[in-house]
Amino acid sequence: MLTIKNLQASIDGQEILKGLNLTINPGEVHAIMGPNGSGKSTLASVLAGREEYEVTGGEVDFDGKDLLDLEPDERAGEGLFLAFQYPVEIPGVSMTNFLRTSVNSVREYREQEALTAGQFLKLMKEKQQIVELDSNLTKRSVNEGFSGGEKKRNEIFQMAMLEPKLAILDETDSGLDIDALRIVSNAVNKLRSPERSFLVITHYQRLLDHIVPDFVHVLYKGRIVKSGGKELALELEEKGYDWIKEEVAA
Amino acid sequence: MSNSTLNTSKEELLKSFRKNLNGKALVPSVREQAQAALEKLEIPNRRMEDWKYTSLESLQKKNFVTPSPSEISDVDPFKIEGLVSDVLVFVNGVYKEELSSLGLNEGNLHLVPFHHVKGESLEVLNKYFGKLVASENNLFSAINTAYADQGLLIYVPKGKIAEHPVQIVHISTPEGNDIALQHRNLLVVEDNASAKVVESFYTIGEGSTLRNNLHEVTVGANAQLEYIKLQLEGSEASQIDHTEVHQGRDSKASVFTITMGGDLVRNNLIFRLNDQNTETHLMGTYLLNGRQHVDNFTQVNHQEPNCFSNELYKGILDEKSTGAFTGRINVFRDAQKTNAYQSNRNILLTKTANIFTKPQLEIYADDVKCSHGATTGQLDKEAMFYLKARGLSEDKARKLMIHAFTLEVIENISLEPVQEYLEQLVSDRY
Repeated sequence: MLTIKNLQASIDGQEILKGLNLTINPGEVHAIMGPNGSGKSTLASVLAGREEYEVTGGEVDFDGKDLLDLEPDERAGEGLFLAFQYPVEIPGVSMTNFLRTSVNSVREYREQEALTAGQFLKLMKEKQQIVELDSNLTKRSVNEGFSGGEKKRNEIFQMAMLEPKLAILDETDSGLDIDALRIVSNAVNKLRSPERSFLVITHYQRLLDHIVPDFVHVLYKGRIVKSGGKELALELEEKGYDWIKEEVAA
Repeated sequence: MSNSTLNTSKEELLKSFRKNLNGKALVPSVREQAQAALEKLEIPNRRMEDWKYTSLESLQKKNFVTPSPSEISDVDPFKIEGLVSDVLVFVNGVYKEELSSLGLNEGNLHLVPFHHVKGESLEVLNKYFGKLVASENNLFSAINTAYADQGLLIYVPKGKIAEHPVQIVHISTPEGNDIALQHRNLLVVEDNASAKVVESFYTIGEGSTLRNNLHEVTVGANAQLEYIKLQLEGSEASQIDHTEVHQGRDSKASVFTITMGGDLVRNNLIFRLNDQNTETHLMGTYLLNGRQHVDNFTQVNHQEPNCFSNELYKGILDEKSTGAFTGRINVFRDAQKTNAYQSNRNILLTKTANIFTKPQLEIYADDVKCSHGATTGQLDKEAMFYLKARGLSEDKARKLMIHAFTLEVIENISLEPVQEYLEQLVSDRY
């Protein structure tokens, strides 16, 4: 589904990703861990199409499409979803209006008919339950005045609405208390399917207790330097990153 | 520019408006004073502090002619859909009875074109006409007072509530020419009375229009007024609007100035809070493109204690448009416990758009709360990326953001059909 080959990217002239390779097949959950500044969020940003990042080399194939050639909205249309590390507050834009425009834009891209107001409200109610999101929140402006946990749940809610092929969770667990973490993880698990893949970026192993990955990768200095199964996350939790750094240096 | 050319262009400008003059003065003494004042006043220019950002030179090059009598049969496109209101239509400055529909506020609200005043309405006219706006220091006000012979008395007597809003529709049909028009409202909401007025301006066809409007607004004790102006004229229209509002004790007044059309627009909006415990809202939004130039010059005079004023103007400037905003707040020595807030926020969509913003606070009382703020920027990049990452095209994301930005002003309008009408106009624009 996603094949990243030798990806290199920089911001403000500084190279962050230095030849990253990663392949994700349908239905797989991949976790990316790594010390601060290793390039985890850069990877998420580059995949979603944030324009401040310059791709200087490599290629990304997403279900047969050259992902790097697509605009951010086209990537969403193709089925890529990024759950933001810092969801943006947009005063004056109501959640309902935003979501409806979003869902129908993506449907238009996928050559599906736009949802009617009734169909949309029904879908919204259904998906809201997955993340246990207070229905009052959808009456407010996008993320405005939401608590940290509500913002993250709102991201997963949007993911549920848009039904992506590949969801990237960029540190969705950071700043969450244990209850919110459980709600978010449960929601993600409910959305797992043989067709849908996940790329979970995290600092902490505890998220991976709830969302059990098929593969764990360690990103360090812009490259994946180690890959393994879910037990690698436990090892990292226990031993930290120093042994990895030493291995790389050796 | 030498004095003699200045005088020539002033004489030309006066002539443009004088041409329309027929019939006798409504209040002869006021007209005579204004005519006398015209002698001494000059056309505002950028050397004057209050006109620093707006040049009227382009107007002085035009040769304004008298508009030909125009036949319009259908004014429905210019009425706000769903707004149940009394409607008055003025075409090229002339009241069109056959296109207007009155009677919803029978007994509570008097709508009398100046030509028809008599009896009680004449008494009201004599009492209020020319009392609020002095001719001595403003050429355009003096021109209006000296030469305007069309206008409208909107009068809500003591204790009367106008249940339905009033819609005043102005249409100009220059028919390829340059025409100069004047209008004047005398809006009197007496003690304990209430009214809502929506006034909109449109152009049909080619040619240019210069409008010189003057509005004298009195809001009595414990009275309420909402006054919404929609400037939606064509790309060759210019408008100079001078609105002065005097508020009595415990009164509430809101003035909305929405500018989407017009080539050169200058709005003077002056409030005098003459008594205690008043509430005032000045709300404006301007959405400009092409080479539009819009200058909002506002002034709130807090003369008495315990008054509240809130001002919010928001602009979206595209292409090579220019905006100017002056917000002057004067707090007089006796006006303790004044609360005065002001904010001017702008989004520039291009590098060639300009905004000049000037807050001016003069405070002579010592126990007051005043704040002002001005911001100018681009559409929030993070928000734009967020929207695009959710599948919205650049265009749709931009539209949604602009809509949200202007909504903060528009949503304060109490009349839902007007809100919807404006939201539609914003959607159509971007």
